[in-house]
Amino acid sequence: MKVSLRWLADYVDLPTSDPDEIARALDDLGHEVEGIERLAPSFEGVLVGRVETVEAHPDADKVRLTTVDTGDGPTDVVCGAWNFEAGAIVPVARPGAVLMDGSFPITERAIRGVTSNGMICSAKELGLGEDADGIMVLDDGFEVGTDFADHLEMPDAVIDLSITPNRPDAMSMIGIARELAAHFGIDWRMPDTSPMPGDGTSALTIEIDDDRCPRFTGREVRGVEMGPSPLWMQLRLERAGVRAISNVVDVSNYVMLELGQPTHAFDFDRVAGARIVVRSGHEGEKLTTLDGVERLLGPEDIVVADDEHGSSLGGTMGGEDSEVSTSTTNVLVEVASWDPPTILRQSRRHALRSEASARYERGVDVAMPIPANHRMVRLLAETAGGAPVGELVVTETVPFVPATIRLPLSLVERTLGVALPAEEIIDHLTPLGVEATATDDEVVAVQPSWRPDLTRPIDLVEEVARLRGYATFESSTPSGAGGGLSTEQVRERRLRAALTGLGLSEAKTFSFHGHGALDALGLDADDPRQSAIEVRNPLREEESLLRTTLLPGLLDAARFNVAHGVGDVALFEIGRVFLDEEAPEFGTVPEQPAVLGFVLVGASGSSGVGSNRRPVDAFSGVGLVRALAASIGMGAVGVESIDQRPLHPGRGARVLRDDGLEFGVVGELHPKAARAWGLPGRVVVGELTVAPMLQDPGMWLFVEPSLQPHADFDLAFVLPDSVSAAAVVEAIAAVDGATESVVPFDLYRGPGVRDGQHSLAVRIRLRAADRTLTSDEVAEMRDRCIESVRQLGGTLRGAE
Amino acid sequence: MDPRLETLRTQAPGLVDDADSLEALDAVEQQVVGRASPIAEIRRGLGQLPAEERPIVGRAVKEVADEIAVLVDRRRSVLEDEAETALLAADAVDLTVPMDERATGTHHLITSTIDEIVDIFVGLGYRVADGPEVETGWYNFDALNTPADHPARAESDTLYVDFGEPEDEMLLRTQTSPMQARYMQDHDPPVHVVVPGRVFRNETLDATHSPVFHQVEGLAVDTDITFGDLKGTLEHFAREFFGPSTGTRFRPHFFPFTEPSAEVDVTCFGCDGSGCKVCGGPGWVEVLGCGMVDPAVFDAVGYDSAGVTGFAFGMGVERMAMARHGLTHIRHLWENDLRVLGQFR
Ligand SMILES: [Zn+2]
Repeated sequence: MKVSLRWLADYVDLPTSDPDEIARALDDLGHEVEGIERLAPSFEGVLVGRVETVEAHPDADKVRLTTVDTGDGPTDVVCGAWNFEAGAIVPVARPGAVLMDGSFPITERAIRGVTSNGMICSAKELGLGEDADGIMVLDDGFEVGTDFADHLEMPDAVIDLSITPNRPDAMSMIGIARELAAHFGIDWRMPDTSPMPGDGTSALTIEIDDDRCPRFTGREVRGVEMGPSPLWMQLRLERAGVRAISNVVDVSNYVMLELGQPTHAFDFDRVAGARIVVRSGHEGEKLTTLDGVERLLGPEDIVVADDEHGSSLGGTMGGEDSEVSTSTTNVLVEVASWDPPTILRQSRRHALRSEASARYERGVDVAMPIPANHRMVRLLAETAGGAPVGELVVTETVPFVPATIRLPLSLVERTLGVALPAEEIIDHLTPLGVEATATDDEVVAVQPSWRPDLTRPIDLVEEVARLRGYATFESSTPSGAGGGLSTEQVRERRLRAALTGLGLSEAKTFSFHGHGALDALGLDADDPRQSAIEVRNPLREEESLLRTTLLPGLLDAARFNVAHGVGDVALFEIGRVFLDEEAPEFGTVPEQPAVLGFVLVGASGSSGVGSNRRPVDAFSGVGLVRALAASIGMGAVGVESIDQRPLHPGRGARVLRDDGLEFGVVGELHPKAARAWGLPGRVVVGELTVAPMLQDPGMWLFVEPSLQPHADFDLAFVLPDSVSAAAVVEAIAAVDGATESVVPFDLYRGPGVRDGQHSLAVRIRLRAADRTLTSDEVAEMRDRCIESVRQLGGTLRGAE
Repeated sequence: MDPRLETLRTQAPGLVDDADSLEALDAVEQQVVGRASPIAEIRRGLGQLPAEERPIVGRAVKEVADEIAVLVDRRRSVLEDEAETALLAADAVDLTVPMDERATGTHHLITSTIDEIVDIFVGLGYRVADGPEVETGWYNFDALNTPADHPARAESDTLYVDFGEPEDEMLLRTQTSPMQARYMQDHDPPVHVVVPGRVFRNETLDATHSPVFHQVEGLAVDTDITFGDLKGTLEHFAREFFGPSTGTRFRPHFFPFTEPSAEVDVTCFGCDGSGCKVCGGPGWVEVLGCGMVDPAVFDAVGYDSAGVTGFAFGMGVERMAMARHGLTHIRHLWENDLRVLGQFR
């Protein structure tokens, strides 16, 4: 809503003319100011004058000698323009006037022996256009002697307001006037909406067959002369952001902006049978609206029709057939109320939003159609020369019943924190048009017809707070109930800190992917990640599915970085995935677990001159998961090989919590998938379900470290490839004895070891809690360890 | 005293000091106290001396020998130090050469901003909750006093998903506010909770909008929460988050689920109110929306609207983070460009 302060002055005499101060008041009222545009003429002291005489200059043939009256009698002005004759109404700059933003002061001046008392101005000289060929010739509506700037509605300031959807009343000049009057504690006034007497009787009849139209008013105006509207009206419309079209259309728009009430002008001669019928649309009915689009209607639409066919889409847009045109002489002024949800659905169904529908769908003052009709008739008479016929025809099907609201004083106090006396509450409400009276502990208020948002006690509390001013309420700090992060939240932060400490950066990717991304991963047909929940109204294919895995987003991010010259990529994301599992009971949302995903590309390890950076591979992924688990005290992580896409068939594993619960997979991306993303080398990915990692592991208890000496020995075994290192470690650890640790430290395949076998060396450390182990004990443990691995099919290397 | 001892005593310090290497010192030591030295000779001749002289000469020899030993030890330690110093000098490196560099990653700006916001409220006694991103129309709209034909529910604004029965109206939550309803259903008052999370709108990515973004929702409900409490709480937040001298302005606004409602502006942190890129001129930056919980919301979740009052607020994480750090385009938060992520601290 764009508010011209000059226009606004028709309805309220504000105590200030400073646009900033008025803007602040509007902000405080909840009408957010989006901008202020200041408009000032480039001239000062230019008056409207009439050219009385025009004669040739005695000594010059390029200029003429005129006498011009600007209200104080004829005076000589020499003029170089030829586009006017005596009788013309023109803008005149008399001595003392200043043009061109102060750079061009006008003084008395002799031109070839004749004194010129000023100049007649061109549009260019007044900063009103590029036309410098002749002077501006005004029409007879400009009164001689008046300030020309006034006619241009200048100076002015236009405040652009963002009106919240609950306040259709504020989408009008009078609505803003009422708000500001209430704020400043002053009066405001309505424009002249009194009825104009009409000649004779009109044949017009109005019938409403559908009570989604609660009331409809119509009046016939005859003898309209189509043409442009007066300059002041055009300027006001333009400042409100509405294009001037013709006097009849402009008046209709002007009344809408002024009163917030949409109106419509039909060409009455095109209304068949002089009869208006408001009815539901017929199935298959067609109507071409003013924008030239043919609309297919149905019973859910509401139509204004004449005897023969639909002539406009109720509350939304007029029809082409009944539109006023240059040949129109008789007009039907239509002003109606419409059911807001009906208009909302209708405008949405036809993808047709108009200034009218925008107001009707929010709720237009139900008491406004009659005054607005009178107002429009008056303005048509004033600007288009029309004369009303008969009386206003009014048909009402649903009378307006205002809400009576009982506002307990206690609700005001409980909500706002201040006990306000009933009188103060009433003082705040009355200027808004709320009729309010006090009882012992309540204020009883009647809803104004223009405030659809005021129906409940809390609605009035807001009005009181708004008018009193939000700044008047003293700040306080409530006593919290004792808060803090949960164990899971603390552990998630530690997990993230561990990830960044391990060199990974946190990524954020969209919660969507397309079918293409799942195909590129090459997931198995029965993989649950294949069945994603579909977005019903996606904007792009890439956003058509809710993600079932974080990997596509992370791989996209990796690709982006590689493409921009970052070769070593280490990214993680913690976010939700969405599983399209069996539809649970009505109204239950799908499972949407949080998942930790990561991707590694390039090399890892410390960097620098001559450094030993290691290209990442599946082991990097497993090592990362182990380090993460250690960082949050999860205990040992079990690793089991799997062959599952999108992982490399021989370089992927599931990872298990120490209680055996699987919490994710990690490994190298299948080369096909890596190629699909254009990523070089081995690409490491992992996806871990976060909940099992964050689960409170319970209280841990201190273990006293042994002060006894340790005994280390190494064993190298030759093993079939089917025996994993983990199995060897487990077999040794299972030997009953003082084993402190078992750590593999060498792996060998090649000469000396047969195909299908490998050699694994482990270092075993023994330590008793209470004594030094004897060499016999160590030797015995060694034998038992060898025996335990032999059970797995391993033999001591060199002893095969 | 034996003149040989006398001579030795006089000469030894010079000899020891002149030794310029550990090897030379060893040779000097040999010369003055070694087997061929006068001291050794005298010691060997002790047996021939008369019994009463033996202890006297013996003491004298020991005295001189000890003196020399101290000199040698002192010299040795000096020479050893010199040798080590030379070794260390040879071992010097240019530490400006990167050699064993450890890379650490960074938290995403959205995460660190959320943590920062959340921690301020945790300090005020709030708990932190998390809610589903795929949400029902009831929680996202109906429970929040947003009628079925509200424009925000249109497919042009809200992303809907196919899940469950068609009448389920499953959608990607457009705000973190549905957690207000869920949390109140699960917890009796008093409630003090903040809810950070992802939200979604049917929008294309441009400089300031994204179909996916983040909000932090807050809710406080008790028997005596007032509009003043709302103001005080958010003023405290603004000072903590934007700086101690931050001013705050509450403007009336409209949200379906709060009444009275307000938008909150803070004094610009990019300028002193004279106008800059951050505030776009007026010296105020709009940072969040808030209001007193509408009684209809209490009714919807089964709270006694006559017995409790509360306030709620919501803020856009990206908006606040971008304004504070001068990010020029929201895509920088989603591209995961490591050159950008590396700037986050
Ligand atoms: Zn600024």
